[in-house]
Amino acid sequence: MSSSASVLALRLAGPLQSWGASSRFTRRTTETAPTKSGVIGLLAAAAGIDREDDDSLAPLTHLRFGVRIDQPGTLLRDFHTAHHGVTGKSMPLSERYYLADAVFVAAVEGDPALLSRLHTALRNPVYLPFLGRRSCPPAAPLEPHLREHTCLEDVLRDLPWQASPWYRRRHRNHPPGRLTVLREKGADEKNPADTLTDQPLSFSAAHRRHTLRTVVTDAVPVPAAAGEHIPDHDPFTALIDDPELLDGETV
Amino acid sequence: MYLSRFRVNTGRPAARRLLSSPQALHAAVMSSFPSLLPSDLPAPESPRVLWRLEQKARAEVLLYVVSPDRPDMTHLVEQAGWPAVADPENPGWHTRSYKPFLDRLTTGQHWGFRLTANPVHTIRRTDDEPKKITAHLTPTHQRGWLLDPDRQARCGFRILQKPDSERLLPDSTAPGGAAQGDRHELAVSDMRPLSFDKSRGHDGKRRGKPVTVVTVTFDGRLEVTDPTALRRALTQGIGRARAYGCGLLTLAPINQPPRPTP
Repeated sequence: MSSSASVLALRLAGPLQSWGASSRFTRRTTETAPTKSGVIGLLAAAAGIDREDDDSLAPLTHLRFGVRIDQPGTLLRDFHTAHHGVTGKSMPLSERYYLADAVFVAAVEGDPALLSRLHTALRNPVYLPFLGRRSCPPAAPLEPHLREHTCLEDVLRDLPWQASPWYRRRHRNHPPGRLTVLREKGADEKNPADTLTDQPLSFSAAHRRHTLRTVVTDAVPVPAAAGEHIPDHDPFTALIDDPELLDGETV
Repeated sequence: MYLSRFRVNTGRPAARRLLSSPQALHAAVMSSFPSLLPSDLPAPESPRVLWRLEQKARAEVLLYVVSPDRPDMTHLVEQAGWPAVADPENPGWHTRSYKPFLDRLTTGQHWGFRLTANPVHTIRRTDDEPKKITAHLTPTHQRGWLLDPDRQARCGFRILQKPDSERLLPDSTAPGGAAQGDRHELAVSDMRPLSFDKSRGHDGKRRGKPVTVVTVTFDGRLEVTDPTALRRALTQGIGRARAYGCGLLTLAPINQPPRPTP
């Protein structure tokens, strides 16, 4: 919450996303919003941190995490009957759950130097970003957006509404009153909080480990949507408003 | 020179007829100048009447006109405006003198601009085919048309490049020429393929082929490199189809970033 911290915000949008926090074995569920392990993993991948390299990962896991649900999306169940590409043998039948057509703003708060490095890395990532599962590429650039001397709560309250144009059109007459924000507790915060097992300890391929983190559920009023990126253009603003100039003018 | 703005009352049938035909609208705009005869051809290399339609919202359509003479748009108000609320103080359109603004243009100034144009090139598909004027149909080619260094020099401006921090892709990953990617402060929008009959015979049948024009709207930021050339571009227009609402470049002060942050 200290004002010396920076906040890095990402827009997570894609046809499919899948953010598992507790899925095991053949039933691969998804949370309704991006998980901290998923987003930290995305940042670590962009920075080129290897899965076994827990020491480089540690500073990333200490970032405070929050997410805003701009467009909730719908849950999609996939009855997965894959076959091995080479041997043709059938793989275990599994159920995989996805969020279709969802848009989120995820933000991490922490050390300005580290976030500035991650910001650069996202523009030129070592490993490509994906939305929770390798088969879920982002639909648009994540538009990494770095703000200094601010806190997570302020950024998630102020960033323009990121929902897609069709979603905004559909809700033009009945706009959602508020957007849900799920964030980690601040340092000296007393709000009641839930917990979720998505605080990454290690992404090691052999043994992924996660621990609990706090989740405070909040809501913010819907900020104005980012307008079309075509600016307003009024050529009259460049002209001097003097009616006398109108008369008796020659070219 | 004068810059005028007229808001079209889209609820009126006559307005819809004007908006549906660039040719009818051109005739209506040209009738705003009592000293011009319909048979007058615009003299080359001299200021001419330029116009552009802008649709800001479904019922907010603005007509901008740049002209050497002061327009009288009374007939437009009567056909497609709000004649009942017009009075001598507020005739239903808005005209201002353009000359002081043109005189203030100096090298190095930065302006936001808007231009509706008809980007075309001359090509042939095989060596023995006559060359034909063909519209640019993709945003990349349309950007390339305006970013052409010769065209920019001829029009007296340079389109500004974005600072590195605002680009979505680093230079090294953007393939292709300068028109590719988002290197410049330039947005292309609102492509309209127009097709209309230039004239019809007495029996109502069309004579010859319909006129087809592809128009796009460019928005961006520019730096003035040659005020004289830019004045010429502002008063004489850029590119083809200037009689059909193309080629009018307007400038406005830059007061807000061209695209909001995410």
